[in-house]
Amino acid sequence: MSGMNSGINVNDPTVIAAFKSALVHQGIIALLIFALLGFAWITVRAWLPAARGTSGAVSGGGPVAAPAEPAWRRLLRIGFGLLWVFDGILQAQPKMAIGLPSQVIQPTAASSPHWVQQVVNWAGTNWSYHPLQAGAAAVWIQVGIGVWMLASPRGPLSRLAGLTSFAWGLVVWIFGESFGGIFAPGLTWLFGAPGAVLIYAVAGGLIALPERTWHAPWLGRGILAGTGLFLAGMAVLQAWPGRGFWQGGSHHQPGTLAGMTSGMAQTPQPGFLAAWVRAFTAFDEAHGFAVNLVVVAALAAIGVAFLTGRPRLVRPAVIAFLVLCLADWVLIEDFGFLGGLGTDPNSMLPFAFLALSGYLALTPSPVAAAQPASPVPASPVPASPELATTGPVTAGWRERIRPASVRQSMATASIRSVAVAGALGLIILGAAPMAAAQASATADPILAESIAGSTAPLNFPAKAFRLTDQHSRTVSLASLRGKVVLLTFLDPVCTTDCPLIAQEFRAAGQLLGASARQVDLVAVVANPVYHQVAYTQAFDRQERLTQVPNWLYLTGSVPQLRQVWKDYGIAAQILPAGSMIGHPDIAYVIDQAGRVRAELNTDPGPGTTATKSSFAVLLANAARNALRPS
Amino acid sequence: MNRPALLASVVLAATMTLAAGCGTAASSQQQAAPASPVAPPSLATSLATATGTWAVAVMGGSAASHNNFWQLFVRPAGTSRWRLTTPPGVASNGGLVLTGLASGSVLAGFRPSQRLGYSPLAITKDNGKAWSPGLFDAGLADIPGALAADPASGRLLALLTDGTTEISSPGGTRWMRLVTRRVLATSPAGTRCQLDSVTAAAFSPSGHPLLGAGCSRPGTAGIFSQNGRTWQLSGPALPAAYAHQAITVLRLTTSGKTTTALLAAGTGPTARLLAGWSADGGAHWTLSPPLPLNGVTLTSASPGPGSSLAITLTHRRAAVITSAAGPWRLLPVLPPGTATLAPGPSGGWNALAVHGTKLTIWQAAPGAQSWASAQVIKVPIPFGSSG
Repeated sequence: MSGMNSGINVNDPTVIAAFKSALVHQGIIALLIFALLGFAWITVRAWLPAARGTSGAVSGGGPVAAPAEPAWRRLLRIGFGLLWVFDGILQAQPKMAIGLPSQVIQPTAASSPHWVQQVVNWAGTNWSYHPLQAGAAAVWIQVGIGVWMLASPRGPLSRLAGLTSFAWGLVVWIFGESFGGIFAPGLTWLFGAPGAVLIYAVAGGLIALPERTWHAPWLGRGILAGTGLFLAGMAVLQAWPGRGFWQGGSHHQPGTLAGMTSGMAQTPQPGFLAAWVRAFTAFDEAHGFAVNLVVVAALAAIGVAFLTGRPRLVRPAVIAFLVLCLADWVLIEDFGFLGGLGTDPNSMLPFAFLALSGYLALTPSPVAAAQPASPVPASPVPASPELATTGPVTAGWRERIRPASVRQSMATASIRSVAVAGALGLIILGAAPMAAAQASATADPILAESIAGSTAPLNFPAKAFRLTDQHSRTVSLASLRGKVVLLTFLDPVCTTDCPLIAQEFRAAGQLLGASARQVDLVAVVANPVYHQVAYTQAFDRQERLTQVPNWLYLTGSVPQLRQVWKDYGIAAQILPAGSMIGHPDIAYVIDQAGRVRAELNTDPGPGTTATKSSFAVLLANAARNALRPS
Repeated sequence: MNRPALLASVVLAATMTLAAGCGTAASSQQQAAPASPVAPPSLATSLATATGTWAVAVMGGSAASHNNFWQLFVRPAGTSRWRLTTPPGVASNGGLVLTGLASGSVLAGFRPSQRLGYSPLAITKDNGKAWSPGLFDAGLADIPGALAADPASGRLLALLTDGTTEISSPGGTRWMRLVTRRVLATSPAGTRCQLDSVTAAAFSPSGHPLLGAGCSRPGTAGIFSQNGRTWQLSGPALPAAYAHQAITVLRLTTSGKTTTALLAAGTGPTARLLAGWSADGGAHWTLSPPLPLNGVTLTSASPGPGSSLAITLTHRRAAVITSAAGPWRLLPVLPPGTATLAPGPSGGWNALAVHGTKLTIWQAAPGAQSWASAQVIKVPIPFGSSG
């Protein structure tokens, strides 16, 4: 999976500081959004007396005749709304910006088929190229969806919140969870199959159902039957021989479940939680067959009970399922969100919400059941019911956008409407910078800055040199006057950094576009043994530099080279016993007047596609800065 | 259950079935792998020239962390002491291959590693005291016979990672393609052999290129010689006992007037090794008795004086053969960590044993029953320099 891992340490202080700074700035913008909306709301209500008395009378600002939201939907909406908000907050953990692709997505995808890895790699690479924007986008989009769902109990916007949850859930399920790992071996309900966020998506789909279906008798049966069928299938999978679940442990080797839980116990967490998981691991190692038998029997029995759709059977099954989910969440999934890189509380809470909502839909309360399922009469205030999150709408869209209607709808908007508008603002706040970043094929320079550190501006004359280029032509620094020179020192037989630096120079030249005509990319050989022109040519062929018009790879006699190395602070050391030449990775930015304007540390770090691209941006920016008149 | 509920259930059931199928796939993937042909030995080997004896061994840490560095040692003729003489200026993580040139000069080639795609060369005329750089603008193959020289003409042969063979002008100043693996495989001789891979390169005593290969056609020894512009099979005709066995050429070297080949017959634990000698460029061969491997693996093969051949095997075993007239002679159980054997100073053999950064030279005189420690060399491994 090339590209997904930026190679930067998840605890890198530069990236973490930048991520925190981005979140703080965007958080201030989010607060401003809410403040402005609140201010506008108060102002409009003050200016338009009609607003008073029509909003706030009913929760959500809807008309009195609107149907009450059924309990099953309220549970899903509030439950998954809170989960989205919590997930969004988890995305704000400092390690997320760098760690999510390399520590979460990549390991999940590693055991999946190649085509899954390719799909996931696309998203992981995009994230690793723009870790700040992607990390912040995940925060605000998920918090936004959560707030939207919490604040919008009815109406088209409430359904749209469900649809958004469905869509974003699928995105996260595919790209973040590698399809929940359903294509990987070792799949088990105990560890979160079919992926927690798929259940978010299912819940979103249910929330998006039209109001006429809210009290439909088939709904509860359908939710429970689908869940029951899935659980029965998971029971079969859990019972499948040869997958290691029947063995707790043998010959000091843990079985599949004990192996998984012992790994979870290693997650950084409070000691008593780890102790619980370790105790369960020990218990499973000793009684693996019995544990699996209980799990298989429980899943099968609960699944069959759900399939019957009979409340008398479903009720105890739901209670048993909730107990099983709780036990699994604590003892096996280990809460799912600990350790600094947890993205969600895993699958048991969503499963519990889903099963409970199915039960509530199956057994509606007498009040809710008595309410009409058909559309209620239109609002007496027809304008813009979306913002008011009211019930069904009868006015056409042309009617709704008339200035008078807009003013009226603003006047009648409830505080929940303001919250919904704010939530939409949060989603845009996260999505817009990410979309803008996606438009760029290059990585964020923060990656290179995290490796190279910051550079101070310089201004002193560059030392002259006179060497031979790869075409055996004489080149001096004076002959390059009038152009910005990006100067570095490369070993033509280097096995590690130099090829990467050369690629970064080549990419920087491409990024410069038309400005590249005013920039020369210059390398001087940094090897006192293998320094002949033939090696510069071989290196250029290897790194596909032969067609780069402004690339110069200079060499000379050893005394000539030693003088240049001395002038530019390069110590090219011959090291013993099969080591390559030791030399620093440095680039100088020399302006058109022949003055050194910056010294860059070009140690390429891990040399991933993301860091290479990031360094190229850094170099190109340095060249552009030198091109600007001082 | 009505239609919407049924639909939702079916969708979930389909997901579940898919998941079950995928989840159990791992258990059905355990199939018995067919026995594979004997692989060529590692790059650890030795070379005897007029001016000294040379040995290559890998030292240091793990290959995964790029802390394994291949080292070159020399024991000048007439002395009993070895010294480190790895050519400077290039990382040797990919491996070193050696060949002897005229008048005791030695050419070392660095195999590509990490981001280096071609093979720098190094030449010494003074037993490694000073090295001159050379260039081979392609990647040398990962076999000990990837470089060969014809001392008389000064031409070189190089076997590339993709099976292509290149030949140089005298002195190695200019290289040209001799034959690709595909062209060799589709030639009449290659078709007869059902060529699998090119595994060795050498010059015949008269200076003609010879290539060794693995043949899929049972009973065929894949030694190819060039006759004009065509390639012909010049391998030894094997006895009927090998008629149903895959034959692989593991090493091919020429010393003086004799070309020596090390062949493997068969696959897996029943494989046997054979040595063959030819004094006329492959027209006629003399074969050694077989050496059954009995499940052990060949780890190194070193040509010795008088066209002898010394091999090391797993489980600290070693054997030497000097001529077709004699049997394979088992050497005493090797010291732990032995990387390769090299001709010793007094007609015996040296075992070069590696432990991290320490090389221990063990000596076994002819007919000795055990190895005696003769020298220890501490190598200043530059850990982390290629990481």
